[in-house]
Amino acid sequence: MIAQEEGIKETQKTNPYVVVKNLVTQFFTSKGIVKALDKVSFEIYPGEIYGLVGESGCGKSVTSTSIMDLIPDPPGRIMGGEIYIDSFNILSDLRSLARIKIRSETDVKIKRSKRANKRHNEILSQIRGNKISMIFQEPFLALNPTMRIGDQIMESILLHNILSISEGIIKRNNINSSDLDKFMKNLNSETDPLRRKKVINNFVSEFGIPEFEESLNSLIENSTDDSYVKTEIINMIQDNKRDIDMKLITEISQYYSLKQQLFQLTLDEIQAERTGETAIRNQKHAQIKSMRSYINNKFFSLRIKLRFAEKHYMSPFRKEARRRAIELLSLVNIAGPEVVVDSYPHELSGGMQQRAMIAMALASNPKMLIADEPTTALDVTTQAQILEIIKDLNELIGMAVLFITHDLAVIAEMCDRVGVMYAGNLVEETSTTEIFNDPKHPYTVGLMNSVPRADKKREKEIRLETIPGTVPNLISPPSGCRFHPRCKFAMDICSLKKPKLVEISPQHKVACFLYSDESEVD
Amino acid sequence: MELRYYIIRRLLILIPTLFGLILLTFILLRAIPTSDLIASFVSQKANATQRAVEKQQAIAYLGLNQPLPVQFLYYLNDIIHGNLGVMYTGFYTGPVIGGISKFLPYTLELTIATVILSILIAIPLGTYIGARPNSPSDAVGRIFSLGIYAMPVFWLALLAQMVFGKNIGILGSYGLPISGEGYPSTTKVPWIVNNVSEPTHMLLVDALLHGNLTIAYSAFIHLILPVAVLTLSILAGLLRFIRAGMVDTANQEFVKTARAKGVPEKLVLKRHVRKNALLPSVTVIGLLMAGLLGGVVVIEDVFDLRGMGRLTLATITGLNIQFYGVAGTVLFFGIILMITNLIVDVVYAFLDPRIRY
Amino acid sequence: MQSTISIFKRSGVQKKRRPKIEDFKSTMKLVFKNKVSLTGLIITSVYFILALMDYVYPQYLGAGPGIITSMTRLNGGFLGQGFPSAPTLSNGWWFYLGTTYANIPLFPAILSALYIDLGYSLLIVLSGAVIGILVGTISAYYGGFWDELMMRITDIFYSIPFLIMAIAFTTILAYSLAKAHAPINGFSLIALALIIIWWPTYARLTRSITLSIKSSRFIEAAVASGSSRIRNIFAHIIPNVLSPVFVQISLDLGSIVLIFATVEYLGLGSVIQVTPYTPELGELISLGQQYLPVGIWWPVFIPGLFLLIFTVGVNILGDGLRDVLDPKMRR
Repeated sequence: MIAQEEGIKETQKTNPYVVVKNLVTQFFTSKGIVKALDKVSFEIYPGEIYGLVGESGCGKSVTSTSIMDLIPDPPGRIMGGEIYIDSFNILSDLRSLARIKIRSETDVKIKRSKRANKRHNEILSQIRGNKISMIFQEPFLALNPTMRIGDQIMESILLHNILSISEGIIKRNNINSSDLDKFMKNLNSETDPLRRKKVINNFVSEFGIPEFEESLNSLIENSTDDSYVKTEIINMIQDNKRDIDMKLITEISQYYSLKQQLFQLTLDEIQAERTGETAIRNQKHAQIKSMRSYINNKFFSLRIKLRFAEKHYMSPFRKEARRRAIELLSLVNIAGPEVVVDSYPHELSGGMQQRAMIAMALASNPKMLIADEPTTALDVTTQAQILEIIKDLNELIGMAVLFITHDLAVIAEMCDRVGVMYAGNLVEETSTTEIFNDPKHPYTVGLMNSVPRADKKREKEIRLETIPGTVPNLISPPSGCRFHPRCKFAMDICSLKKPKLVEISPQHKVACFLYSDESEVD
Repeated sequence: MELRYYIIRRLLILIPTLFGLILLTFILLRAIPTSDLIASFVSQKANATQRAVEKQQAIAYLGLNQPLPVQFLYYLNDIIHGNLGVMYTGFYTGPVIGGISKFLPYTLELTIATVILSILIAIPLGTYIGARPNSPSDAVGRIFSLGIYAMPVFWLALLAQMVFGKNIGILGSYGLPISGEGYPSTTKVPWIVNNVSEPTHMLLVDALLHGNLTIAYSAFIHLILPVAVLTLSILAGLLRFIRAGMVDTANQEFVKTARAKGVPEKLVLKRHVRKNALLPSVTVIGLLMAGLLGGVVVIEDVFDLRGMGRLTLATITGLNIQFYGVAGTVLFFGIILMITNLIVDVVYAFLDPRIRY
Repeated sequence: MQSTISIFKRSGVQKKRRPKIEDFKSTMKLVFKNKVSLTGLIITSVYFILALMDYVYPQYLGAGPGIITSMTRLNGGFLGQGFPSAPTLSNGWWFYLGTTYANIPLFPAILSALYIDLGYSLLIVLSGAVIGILVGTISAYYGGFWDELMMRITDIFYSIPFLIMAIAFTTILAYSLAKAHAPINGFSLIALALIIIWWPTYARLTRSITLSIKSSRFIEAAVASGSSRIRNIFAHIIPNVLSPVFVQISLDLGSIVLIFATVEYLGLGSVIQVTPYTPELGELISLGQQYLPVGIWWPVFIPGLFLLIFTVGVNILGDGLRDVLDPKMRR
């Protein structure tokens, strides 16, 4: 459905959109501390599809949930490292969030700081869904069973896109004669009926009045008098406008834009805090304070209204959001989006649910999507369709994707670059072609040899292999390289030191002593 | 449209249980030696021959000369015609069904007030506690609900009487009346006939309907202690259930999705957790009703109130055990509980979109 | 090339020895580690020890059976004269908690009552559990008609409020047993009635667990290897049912003690009661109830407090056990 646009990816590889540095995530259970992630680092660039692959229980999903800071707490916790999203470190408050006392493996005391948590949540609620969206493995569990699909999508739209919605509404209602003149001029310059239709289509979608397209078409066909058409259009819009209180809408949009500014100030304040610029920090802090009190005073009555009768006062916004939700649903190839928007999750099939999930994730035009094994729970044909949608979206809007799977075939089909994870470590990272043609790390090699390959002509005596042993227990992981107990090429150093992920050739990073002597410094 | 079929199907499922219930009461009635049943129909003053005749009449009347299945059919026929037998106690003498219709409204008043009050308290409190597991307020809530859960209802009622009662306790002589004392049903009001008010037979409602505020006030005051104790007795279970529901729901995958969408923490609780957690609590009301109806017996006994509970107790503490009274009250309470569960199920099906009709 | 044997060797798969004892040990360890459930364990144990002591050495602790007559004899042979005396520390330990109706000292009376309350409640819960396990496993394992019948019967039992049913069954049983001249006292009578109405809880619990086990792999394996149905039930299903039932028992014990006391308080035990007898906690409360209007609180308050503390103890122990034994709760 979407034209291939090659070349987008190559040009944008300047600034990574997401940077994960030395991420350490642990789970505190009654049996001991599970060291789920141990210093994982990687970057994702705008517009690329990055794949994470590994056996189950190797920390792929923990990585993705850590990026969103959605680790269930308790028992889990991000213990260290940095995660930059759009060059803002979401873990900058990590130290002040909680004091952690580890007395022994099973006796851990965590004391949370309420204030820091509150600010952290506030910031993250602006980042999650807005800058990064996420879709999950089992769409049936991941959709709220008692909420209509449309409401769930609208919720996301109303959270992040309220300003653009209000802009749209204002633009439609302030439609003036110069806009109409422009439209008529465009229309009259075309003679071909199909192109005329296209102009009408553009016009109605620009001003958000798709419900008038039909009547507009017939109106223009039947009449040649420009001024008559103009007055008719204005009448149509006036009729529609009657139930909309423009004053309220401008007020709401002002309120939210001020809130947006407030959020930006908070980000600035945190940035200043991190770099240690006390003067700037204090200045920002004072600004935030005055702005907050200004908002509280000016929009006092509005806030009360929204608190007690949100549905009523937001209804024009909801109407617009609903229109966008239907658009999103048709974007992800759902048939009959007008019906689906009003149905409950259990009334849809698994594939439809996952599409609805994707539509929900796209609601706020995020620059990146995390797909956590999005096709594992689906049947094969649906899998292919979902993968195609993700791939298309990546090419169409240049949305970066972090794709998590244990299926090497999917990796080969989807991804630009691949990271291989083993027992909470990233052991190899390179481009997709490289990883299939020239895997370096013994684990990757084992992984590649464990699946049948059609593209490689091999001698007949080489058969499918398994990697001996199982994924280690992460409460007491093996010392040094975590793979050494299962490794054919294990050396003495492997059990003593942990290899570092180093670049052995351009775009190819491996953490193994076979290729480099560098080890992690503790 | 579809809900109607669901209700019909649910009613059909009810039939075997209702049949079993009637069978159970029949078995209870036949478990006692039939000689006593017959003796209760024979007048003691008559001479031997007359007594023998009366005995034969009683056997024929009761259908004891028939085989058991036929006897059961007789019993079933009686029940369908509303004939539950007769009871003779100091508390009430007359047909069992009449006793039930006389004393039920008071019990209904008590239980309805209790259910409303407990829901009004439990939902905000339970959601508040459940949203903060392992916090100090959660600890307080848990200790409270455990304490209430472990408390014997009659003991709680006695203590409440002692502390808040009329003549003694911290409130002095201005406290609440120990119910039963000076209950306004004895006052000379035209619509209170034979200790029973008209038209709904619920004193508080009737007084309000007739616009008699003095009696309404008195009836209200008399309701406070019993309703408070009953509410406390079922509050613990409700609180525990709601709290567990909140904690469970908060760990569900779709809550993670909501957070991943960027929904602020407060709205996550309000929009996503609370509704999903509260829906199943509708079903627990059916269970609580069972405990509540048991509690009514105790409360009416302690507070000396004239309701169904007292009628039940009267059947066993009189001079002779009133078998028809026992069987009748068991049957009645069973039917009440069944209807409650039916209503609960239908309401749940109405509220939860996932229920397949 | 790797053979399966070497895979097992490498990953260290071994046959576990004596898992039952290990399980019990780790369970107890977890219970002991949690302070709340440890408190529950201590409270419950103290109660049971007191009750047992009273049974073994009635002359030192409580007064044993027949307290009503022996106490009244002690107090000069008259009932109901004078008001109960307040708790005092001066007249010896018998009077530490004051006296109740007929000047019966509360302390020994409560100790004797504990024996009755705990003993009969345990009897009710255990027999109910045994009946429930047998009925539940067998009906679920054989399925079909018997399963359906069992479900309908439990449905009926669930459709009547528990207390109402207890009242009805006690009455009917009392009357018919007394007519049959069966040697039975009030407590055993109530216990019998409560067992009859209590087993469906366990039958349902067992049934649901059995159904889930029945379809699991290891039963299929056992059937495939030729083990008989009865052997399957006793060797494979019942051991798996036991630990959830055990948790349910520990949770139910508190409720049963409360119901037993409530039923006694309502005076059902005295439908047929022989003197001399020992009052049970609910009855002790109802004995002291008449003095409440004049502000004598201890005859009601103290027995109830004993009841309350026991129920709290059993409940927190049960909660702790559930947290430990239910793998879903363990993290």
